[in-house]
Amino acid sequence: MGILAAPCQPGDTGFCAPGVDEFYPKPIIEFSVAGIDFQFTRIMLLCWLITAVILAVMVAAVRRPQLVPSKVQWMGESAYSFVRDGIAREVIGVEGLRFAPYLATLFLFILGNNLLGIVPFAQIAPTSKIAIPAFLAIISWVMFNYVGIRQHGFVKYFKDILFMPGVPKPMYILVTPIEVFSTLIVRPFTLAVRLFANMFAGHLLLLVFTLGAAYLLTVGNVSAVFAPVSFGMAIIMTFFELLVEALQAYVFTILTATYLAGALAEEH
Amino acid sequence: MTEGRQPGGSPGAGAGWAVLGTLIAGMAVWGGIGWLLDRWLSTRAFLPIGVIVGVASAIYLIVAKYGK
Repeated sequence: MGILAAPCQPGDTGFCAPGVDEFYPKPIIEFSVAGIDFQFTRIMLLCWLITAVILAVMVAAVRRPQLVPSKVQWMGESAYSFVRDGIAREVIGVEGLRFAPYLATLFLFILGNNLLGIVPFAQIAPTSKIAIPAFLAIISWVMFNYVGIRQHGFVKYFKDILFMPGVPKPMYILVTPIEVFSTLIVRPFTLAVRLFANMFAGHLLLLVFTLGAAYLLTVGNVSAVFAPVSFGMAIIMTFFELLVEALQAYVFTILTATYLAGALAEEH
Repeated sequence: MTEGRQPGGSPGAGAGWAVLGTLIAGMAVWGGIGWLLDRWLSTRAFLPIGVIVGVASAIYLIVAKYGK
């Protein structure tokens, strides 16, 4: 599937741009249960590994807490208090503290998976597969709707979405379709696509510059002098990706908190 | 940790992204209705009108919702 460049044929001698194929590595294990085919790829393996690492670090951080924290305890505590105070309390308020465990789990899971995009030998973020951001978005979507229904009751919750308080009646014709569409469809969709697209594009960007550098070096003519430029860009873009990866984890978490706050608010 | 400002950006970031979502929804809903009208009546004017109406309503909605 060559979408970003003309597809490379086996006999081509030019530069083969990386394509969507990069996101479909050869499966490690393939099996079939009840007619459904399962593939266990290295991306899935990375996702499991990073989840285990996050779990191990957090358990180690809280297992024997000391008054003067050890390094790992300090790391775990700062990560948690960043989400609890900086996101849950700041966005939702005091009653948001009960969502802090979920928000912290979400933040650390996304951050860990995103960072795999620049970890040597891993070099791909599992969040660049749409399934993971999509499922996280579905969880957040179900959660904020559930919280809103619990808080206000089914009828009032959806009545407030349909007919937003404080808007003159004739404006409902214009505003109601937008509010319904944005709350129930645009929110989960943009949550998933923002994270997925950033990770997907970032991976391809890094591949273009690194494969470009390798190609320029091996092409065997004067173009080799441009290889360091491409390689330098790959390094710059790696730091840029670090920023994007951290930012996207933060944005996903803070948006989930914003939606929860909206569902809890008296008038939303 | 001191009260008030927390490290790592402001909660305004969340509201900002939510506003963007509402704007997109406004354009998509009313632009979409305009596009359907255009297909139905074979005209060309309703899509741009719909997009403008959608953005205007979305801005109105945002002010009513977040502008308190």
